[in-house]
Amino acid sequence: MKTVEKIVNPVRRAGEQSPGKIYSDKLKVRRRREWRGVKDTFYDYTRWLYLLSVLGRFIIVPRNVKGFFRYRWMMSYLFVPHGMDKFTIGLRDEALRIAHTSFNFVIADVTKAIGNCFRGDRRVGNDKAYSDKCVITDENSMVTFMMGFDTDKVHTILREVPTMFASNIFHQFNVEHYLDIAQQYGIPGDVCPMPEAEAGISIDDDFCVLGSCAVQNNTTCDGSLMGNGIIAKRLEREYGIPTYQLATPLRHKEPDVLEYAAEEIKKAIRFVEEHTGEKWDWDVYFAAAKRVNYATKCRIAQMEINSTPYPQFFGAAFSLYNDTNYMGNSGRMPEFVDIDRKLLELAEKGYKEKRMYAKEYRHRCIIWGVQPQYVIDQLYWLLQCWGVVPLTDMLSVINTDMIAEEDTPENREQAYRDMAMLNMEMIMRNHTHGGFKVLVDDLWELCEKMNADIVMMWEHMSCKALTGMHGQFEEQARERGIHIMWVSHDLCDPRVFTRQAIRDQVNNYMRTVMREEPLDPSLEIIPDNEAY
Amino acid sequence: MKSKVLSVLVKLVIAVLAFFVVTFTVYFFNLDMKATALLEPFFEKWYDGLERKQYI
Repeated sequence: MKTVEKIVNPVRRAGEQSPGKIYSDKLKVRRRREWRGVKDTFYDYTRWLYLLSVLGRFIIVPRNVKGFFRYRWMMSYLFVPHGMDKFTIGLRDEALRIAHTSFNFVIADVTKAIGNCFRGDRRVGNDKAYSDKCVITDENSMVTFMMGFDTDKVHTILREVPTMFASNIFHQFNVEHYLDIAQQYGIPGDVCPMPEAEAGISIDDDFCVLGSCAVQNNTTCDGSLMGNGIIAKRLEREYGIPTYQLATPLRHKEPDVLEYAAEEIKKAIRFVEEHTGEKWDWDVYFAAAKRVNYATKCRIAQMEINSTPYPQFFGAAFSLYNDTNYMGNSGRMPEFVDIDRKLLELAEKGYKEKRMYAKEYRHRCIIWGVQPQYVIDQLYWLLQCWGVVPLTDMLSVINTDMIAEEDTPENREQAYRDMAMLNMEMIMRNHTHGGFKVLVDDLWELCEKMNADIVMMWEHMSCKALTGMHGQFEEQARERGIHIMWVSHDLCDPRVFTRQAIRDQVNNYMRTVMREEPLDPSLEIIPDNEAY
Repeated sequence: MKSKVLSVLVKLVIAVLAFFVVTFTVYFFNLDMKATALLEPFFEKWYDGLERKQYI
C-alpha cells in the first residue's frame, strides 16, 4: 500500500491540547470556547464580536425582525457563532485566520442574501420596485447567466441558500421538519434530502416570495428535478412568477454538447432581460470574467500549497468558500477579490513558516463524494483526532481553465461558451456527472498530484449517482495501493446517521485497518449528537 | 482642563475594560449560545402555531 512520510509538529500547540473536553452531553452547545493561548484566543474573540455585529446590524432592521418571526428556518441563524466554532476546532495561527476570513465572509454574504430576500418578500418587506428587479435562482445553479447584469440594477436571489443549505450547517436538525412535510405529501424518504427539504419548504409555504422571474437548473439528479418541479409549480401557478428551466447537458466532457449549452445560456439571458426590463452589459460581463479568472488562479495556488507537506487552507471553510465564490458569486461581486488575495497571503505566510495544525500529520487524504451538511466540520476533526490531513474535497476540484476576459467580437461569442462550460462544470455536477473519467479517473490523478495515501469516500446513501460506482472505486483503489475509507451519511438528515455514527466509521477504519491510535483520544467519541 | 481630560480618559479606560471583561466572559463560557439554546423551544412553539397554506 502507498505510504506517506509522517511529519511530527516540532512546535507544541498554544493553549489546550485536548479540545474534546469542551463538548457536553447535557448541553446542545459547547461548555465553553476553546483556549488557544492568549494571541489566538483574543483573535477568535474579536471575530466573535465581529459576527455579533453582523447579526446585530441585520436584526435592527424592522422587516428582518418580521421575517424572523415568519420563517422557521431563521431559527438556525441564532446559532451562527456556534456554527463558526465548529469550523475552528484545534486551529491556531494562519489556519485560524483563514477559517475566519473565509467563513466570516460567507456568513456576511448569507446575511446580506437574507436581508435582500426579506426586502422583496411579499409577506415581509414587500418592496415591489426592488422585487421587480430580482431574479430567483436555484441553489445548486451557477449564476454565470447573471454575470453581465449590473448588480445595482438586477438582483440575483439564491433564496434556497439561506433557507436550507446554509442554515443546516448552523443547526443540524433544522430541515427535519421540512423532510417530514415532504414525506407527508407522499415524497419517498429515499430521495436526496436536500431537494426533498427544499420541496418541503415550498409545500410548507416557508420560502420568501419575490422576484420578477426565476431560473431553475436540472442540477444533478432525479431528486433535484423532482424538487424543482414542485417549487416551480408553486412559483408559477400560485405566485405568478415565470420560471425558466435552464437545461444543462450532463455529459459535459463531450465536445458536441457545448454549442447546445451555450444556446441555453443565451436563452436564459434573454428570459431575464424580458422579465426585468434590464439589458445585458458586456463591460459588466468582462469585468466579472476577470474576477472569475483571478478566483481560479487563487484556487489553483491554494491547491498547490496543499500539495506540499504543509497545507494551509483546507477543510469545510475551503469547500464552502469555493462553493460561494464559484457558484453563488461567479465574479459578480468585487468584494471577493480582496478576500481571495487575503486568503492567499495568509496561506503563503503559513507555508513559508511551515505551520502545522495538529501534533502529527500521519496521512494525506482526498475527500471524495458529497459531504454531509450537518457534520461538514468533520474534516477538522479528522485532522485533530487522527492526524489525517484533508487536502481537498471533491466539490472544490472545479474549473482550472481561464475564460475570455477581453471585450472583442470573437470573445463575445466565446463568452457564451465560457458561461456554458462553467455552468456545466458547476460544483455538484462536474464530478458526479460526466462519466467515468471525471468521477473515478480524476480521483487517482488527484491522489498522485497531491501525494495522498487515503481517500475518504463520503457515501451519501440517497445519492444514486455515486453509489453505483462503489465497486469500481474499491477495485481501482486496491490496484493503486490507495486506502479507501467509506463513510456513509444522509446529507442533511441526522436521524439516519448521527454525527458519532459517521465518526465511528472513521474510528473503526483507523483502528482495525490502519492499526493506529488516535492523536487526541478526547475527540474519538464526542457527545454532540444532540447539539445544534 | 488637564484633570478633566484625565478623568475622561480614566472613564474611557474603565468603560473599555468593563466591556472587555463582560464580553470576554460571555464569549469564553459560551453564555451567548447557552442563552440562545434556552430560547429555542419557545421559538419552535411559535413557528408550530403559525398558520400556513400547505400546497403541492
